[in-house]
Amino acid sequence: MIDVARIDYWAASGSGPLHRASVLSKVVFLMLAILSAIVAKSPYPLAAGYVVMILAAVAAGLPWLRMLALSLYAAVFPLLYGISLKGGTAVFAVLLLKALTAALAMLTLIVSTPYPRVFALLSSVLPEVLAAGLFMTYRTFFILLDMMHNFGAAIRLRGGFSPGSLYKNGSNISRGIGMLLVRAVERSSRLYAVMTVRGYNGSMAEPGADRPRREDWLPLALGAAVFALALAWKP
Amino acid sequence: MTHMHIPDGVLPVWLWVTGFIVMALSLGLSLYRVRAMDRKKKIPLLGALAAVMLVAMSIPILPPAYHINLSVTTGILLGPALGFAAAFIANVMLALMGHGGITVVGLNTILLGSEAVLGHSLFFLFKKIRPLFWRAAMATVLTLFITTVLLIGIVAATNLEPGHFFYHHEDHGQSVEARVSVSTFAVMVLSLGALGWLIEAAITGAVVKFIAQVKPDLLRHALHGAGGSVPKTGEKR
Repeated sequence: MIDVARIDYWAASGSGPLHRASVLSKVVFLMLAILSAIVAKSPYPLAAGYVVMILAAVAAGLPWLRMLALSLYAAVFPLLYGISLKGGTAVFAVLLLKALTAALAMLTLIVSTPYPRVFALLSSVLPEVLAAGLFMTYRTFFILLDMMHNFGAAIRLRGGFSPGSLYKNGSNISRGIGMLLVRAVERSSRLYAVMTVRGYNGSMAEPGADRPRREDWLPLALGAAVFALALAWKP
Repeated sequence: MTHMHIPDGVLPVWLWVTGFIVMALSLGLSLYRVRAMDRKKKIPLLGALAAVMLVAMSIPILPPAYHINLSVTTGILLGPALGFAAAFIANVMLALMGHGGITVVGLNTILLGSEAVLGHSLFFLFKKIRPLFWRAAMATVLTLFITTVLLIGIVAATNLEPGHFFYHHEDHGQSVEARVSVSTFAVMVLSLGALGWLIEAAITGAVVKFIAQVKPDLLRHALHGAGGSVPKTGEKR
């Protein structure tokens, strides 16, 4: 699917202007880019917006080549969906570019912002159960990815995967998922207990951590430029 | 298996806005139903199961983008209310990973949440079916069939106003307009999906059977009410 661990590393380790900008300004940028994808009726402004975002990623020191490659994942469903459309190449191009523009904007946000900072912003609008659930999911997910990787290696070393034996492979994978599930519940309960003992009271937000910063101009100007292109460029 | 990898800007505004409204109402009802449950119990369970769903989704099964969801397993283990909340969390995380758009979070939560709710209901409706593997597998196949039909219905709904969200232009004097061929889409989704339902059903059946053997209390916790619906020790699994 997606190399989540690598995205998390880029988000946590970078120090460019987009990394230093506040989460709120980057969320505003994302919303403007999505709005552009919604209102655009021609492929040209979307293509121009896509190029502008790539240039901004280059300027901000983001892993733009990887971002470009990852944004292409978003093309899979539009390709399938496009086959069922009877609108010609122009419609196909709009569909594809709408997907790529929004996906690249989302990637710009997540490769420059660690997930806990995004959750901290979300926790101000979501009920506590969901905000805490998001954070617990994030923590547990990375632990489980490691466990799944170890499980895959162990089962291969012990000859648990045999080509052609669908039943045996399926049975082993299912047991692995079952074990993963049981361990996930145990680990998650332990983690939550530790967090509670250390004073967790339902809020992940650091007070004042997301105040406006000098670097906010970059995501805001970028979002405004992409949106202006979509509005101004008439088919 | 039925969640849409549709990026932002593709679906008409009225459709995804409706999706968000229905999702918010369902989520509100779900959270109201579990309000009395101990936080220490529900938050770790919610986080763990949503994370397991995400890990399962990261295992590719069939090209181009087929993967299992474990949404029925989540529904069976968490119950309908927390299962729906787990579906919401999984979809927000997916959108934040660039896997599907932000605007389709509402519709995807409805689809994935329906799988959790339906899966749970059917699993407990089929309580006379033994062994446990077949009970979970049958609940999964039926659930996935129903939600796939729901997915086709959503795509069919986009056909109502295609001109509002796609490009119109004059091509050699002929107006070109995007129309969704629902039958083509339905044939593609149902034919690819049928194989997927069987795979997901087999995995769900085996996982539920494994949990009943290793940690049966996960299937018997307070969220499920009726205690007799899961095999007691010594009963055939």
